[in-house]
Amino acid sequence: MELLFQTVMNGLVLGSGYALVAVGLTLIFGTLHIVNFAHGAFFALGAYVSVQLQSFGLPYLVVLPLAVVVVAIIGVLIEVLVVRTALYDRPEHGSIIVTFALSQAVVAGLVLLVGPDPLPVRSMFSQISLSAFGLFLSAQRLFIVVITLLVLGIFGWWLKRSVRGQQLLAVSQNPRGAYYSGINVPMIRMLSFLLGVSAAGLAGGLLAPIISASPTMGDAYVIVAFTVVILGGLGSISGALVGALIIGLANAFFETYVSVSWTPALGWILVIFVLLLRPEGLMGQKDLNRH
Amino acid sequence: MTRGFQTQASGSGHYRNLALVGLAGVLIAIVALGTDNAFLLSLAGYTCGFALFALSVNMILGGVGEVPLGQCVFFGVGAYVPAIAMSRWGLPFEVGVAMGMAAAAVLAFAIGWLTRGLTGAYFSIVTWGLTGVAMVVALNLDITGGPLGLFGFSRLAVGPFNLTDPRVYFLVASITLLVVLIFLAHVRTSRFGHALESIRQSPHLAQSLGISVPLEKLKILVLSAPVAALGGALVLPYTQIVTPEVLSVMRTVEAMLAVLIGGTALLYGPVLGAVIFTVLPQMMDFDANVKMLVFSLLVIFVMIVVPGGLHQAIGMLRPARKSRVEA
Repeated sequence: MELLFQTVMNGLVLGSGYALVAVGLTLIFGTLHIVNFAHGAFFALGAYVSVQLQSFGLPYLVVLPLAVVVVAIIGVLIEVLVVRTALYDRPEHGSIIVTFALSQAVVAGLVLLVGPDPLPVRSMFSQISLSAFGLFLSAQRLFIVVITLLVLGIFGWWLKRSVRGQQLLAVSQNPRGAYYSGINVPMIRMLSFLLGVSAAGLAGGLLAPIISASPTMGDAYVIVAFTVVILGGLGSISGALVGALIIGLANAFFETYVSVSWTPALGWILVIFVLLLRPEGLMGQKDLNRH
Repeated sequence: MTRGFQTQASGSGHYRNLALVGLAGVLIAIVALGTDNAFLLSLAGYTCGFALFALSVNMILGGVGEVPLGQCVFFGVGAYVPAIAMSRWGLPFEVGVAMGMAAAAVLAFAIGWLTRGLTGAYFSIVTWGLTGVAMVVALNLDITGGPLGLFGFSRLAVGPFNLTDPRVYFLVASITLLVVLIFLAHVRTSRFGHALESIRQSPHLAQSLGISVPLEKLKILVLSAPVAALGGALVLPYTQIVTPEVLSVMRTVEAMLAVLIGGTALLYGPVLGAVIFTVLPQMMDFDANVKMLVFSLLVIFVMIVVPGGLHQAIGMLRPARKSRVEA
């Protein structure tokens, strides 16, 4: 019973991370039509900025929002310097190469700056253990799930209810039409990129106390996030959340009850199967996989 | 994006090709006889193996315009199969290499058949996923030696040629590379090569003209896999070890960086890129991560400024010179 509970909780925590990364990915693809292979790098950046800020002696609750802001600033810089100049209205394989090269550059940069070894992030929630009905739960895990649900909820509400959110949806559906309607398309694109990478950065900062910061930590998350995004559909935040939680749970159960050493393959196999069996599913746009 | 295969149907093209082969032969002789430095010679041999892998990547990248992140799986198979054949089954190196190439082709057929409907980011994600699976498999199986990999090979030789001698190693690797280059040049000017070029330029138009896009893509993938496997086998005498790292997507990225720096369009582009990519960091004594950082940033820069690679930058200078002569 305790093992089962622990497994479910691990799955939900894992799924929350996937959901945050996936929402960013889906947002960037939806409005920019770029499959952002560098998304995992922003996830890692979120964790490493947290490590760095924490070394200044700041408490975790201050570190986390600051880390998101720093990742957002890096995101804006990259949008202006690289994405805007090299990727809009260019053939798809260019954006795959550039975003992938970007992620490799970030990983190599992180290894050079801080070394390849995992670094811990401390959170005051990690020490607190909640107990109910004879079951124990680390407060950090609960914190991750709550923050994820909160952020996704606010984001979904913002997309539906605010003028900016509606503009963002308009750009993702029809950029030219949005432009003719007087929407500032470049600004909305930048906003999407910024929000997307910030979500990845937030996920990195949230999960770092549990999994530690390491340069390639983003790979496993991003590949699963691809799966989630393909299954979920564009703009469907609830779809992304449900998909992410299901895959998180599947991962946790596989790890606990089948094999730890084969678990890393599960995410990769899932994405392969989803793409092979339901290739039209990526954000629900059937013509994406054509040039 | 990329400049396509150019054909040389005229008679003078034939002599030019012969002259190019002769020039390559002279280059090989200069390197082989010009230095006694064992390290330089083995590095040159390794460069040839890496160039084969880069060529294989470019058969897909420059050939049909897809980003083959999973190409390192074929490279890894090409390295693992001879290693397993030698240390587990006691087979000679040559047999292992042939088995590796065959295994890579079969694997490529299976992957290509499964992904026949996928292009663009889909193809890249699935093949990236395959590298992840392949790495976990290599880490977990006994036959691959787990995380430690395989090492301590008894005999690395092709027929009478002992590859542990750096000069022999370089000669075998470079001549193999040259033979593959000649073969690929023939493929390029064949009907199949033209079909591929039309797919790269416009898949829809190619399809409408009666070219089966999925079939041609499957063919080039199956053809590219043994080339990558051969490259994987030819780096063995240099590395002396096979670890799951050869299956890492980083290997593909390295080859892609080399291809993009050399230029995707021509056959010598990937070779030139491979030389730059292996020799330059060695000369400057770069750490592997500095190398990755520098070349990644360089590729981003190249993609922003000259999407066809450095070769295109030279091409951009050329017409300017010509017009000056005419004027």
